[in-house]
Amino acid sequence: MANPLRIRLGVHNLSDAQIAAFRSSYQQMMGIADNRGYQYLAGLHGVPSWYCWHHQQNAHSAQQLQLFLPWHRAYLYNWEMAMRDRVPDVTLPWWDWTLRPPRQSGVPQIFSVAEVNGQPNPLTGFRINLPSTRPPLVHRTARQPGPPNELPAQSDVDDALARTDWNDFTEALEDIHDNVHGWVSGDMGVVGTAAFDPIFWSHHAMIDRLWWLWQARNGNGNISTDLLDEVLAPFNFRVRDVLSVNDLGYDYAAAQSVVPIAGGAS
Amino acid sequence: MAGRKKQTKPGDAPKKTPASSAQQPAPPTPQPASPAPQAASPAAEPAAPAGALGVPQRGTREAKTYTSKPVPIDFAGPEHRYVRSDLEIYGIYHGGPSYEGRIFLNNPKADQTTARTRENGYAGSFYIFGHGGCLGDPGHCEVNEENRDEYDFRSPHPLTPAKKKVTVTNTLREIAKTNKTATITVVPVVTATNELCDDVDVFRFENMRFVSYNA
Repeated sequence: MANPLRIRLGVHNLSDAQIAAFRSSYQQMMGIADNRGYQYLAGLHGVPSWYCWHHQQNAHSAQQLQLFLPWHRAYLYNWEMAMRDRVPDVTLPWWDWTLRPPRQSGVPQIFSVAEVNGQPNPLTGFRINLPSTRPPLVHRTARQPGPPNELPAQSDVDDALARTDWNDFTEALEDIHDNVHGWVSGDMGVVGTAAFDPIFWSHHAMIDRLWWLWQARNGNGNISTDLLDEVLAPFNFRVRDVLSVNDLGYDYAAAQSVVPIAGGAS
Repeated sequence: MAGRKKQTKPGDAPKKTPASSAQQPAPPTPQPASPAPQAASPAAEPAAPAGALGVPQRGTREAKTYTSKPVPIDFAGPEHRYVRSDLEIYGIYHGGPSYEGRIFLNNPKADQTTARTRENGYAGSFYIFGHGGCLGDPGHCEVNEENRDEYDFRSPHPLTPAKKKVTVTNTLREIAKTNKTATITVVPVVTATNELCDDVDVFRFENMRFVSYNA
């Protein structure tokens, strides 16, 4: 029997046990210095590897390479797999920055509270240790968030989701994404260091979720067939491989409640 | 390789010298004091090496604004079946700080303190997620796409200039009721910058245009 799809939940709906599992996965990854660890994987985005796709333009062609969404879906898939190597049942939660008080105000508390049970909260930041870059990049990540009412609103999301043309949609969603990076500011505010901030991954899970919601309405829309065979380096995917999150083994939901089955049920 | 062949089609951004003076970031500029970013303070972390790059912070200096010459906007007049207009901006430099680009129509005096209202000509914003300066050896952030041939299948340089599009329909429609032309003012508000970035000459681009759609 196939395993059920992994469910990525909203940060605001996590149970205490799910938050603990989420924190534990990051804590363990932060302790690994090789290519299974936090620094290596976060370093694929900006410094030092610079694989990420943003501001898609192609100087060779009028056909722009709109790889922002597919590339980050592949990236998050690999990230979540690395999380699950540490904590088998954990999934990557999404940060819904459209929520307003009293449900949420700015950076969710699970990412901002300094200590949990007397221990440093691994979701507040990560110490980047790249002494060989020029200049050296060795510091603990920090944030300088803006006013909560400056985060994108549901109306911004609705406007993006209403766009039926693929290029129009992905450009609108990327602009919302860019806004949130700048809103968090600090290391999250620039491409080079953004992925070292633990909130990066939940921000991008929200973006990935919104693409999936758009796909539920529009399928793959008028995405260029030229795009489908583009390789999403350094990952083992082409664009066509990441079009369905279900094919990647996960789905998005607001909440999940597993029904216990008693042994020996008739 | 699909999508990588050299060709020219309408809508492709021509390569031109950026509208602003310098193509590369200015030399590192001392940053004025800013509010300290929120950071956790785990115990006993080793000190950073000398010359290490600091945490990016919000801009504290007024970035240079850009104002265009008056542009004809008769296409947006009430006599047209006009449903949407986008301001498309091509060739945007994004190697420096992150910023919000606030667009004001017919308000060349707009600055960071100008309220974002239709009465002030505010038409919308775009957001640039900047690279945060060059953390590489000399030449690392130089974009030389024009030197590549059709057999160069490597990915485009990450700093290939960006395109942004802002839907400005409602403000433009309002202005077109009483004006035949409009100026476009872009007010950059820096959201994240560091010692490597020029946080004053922020908005550099190649060209822009209105694209409108009728019903």
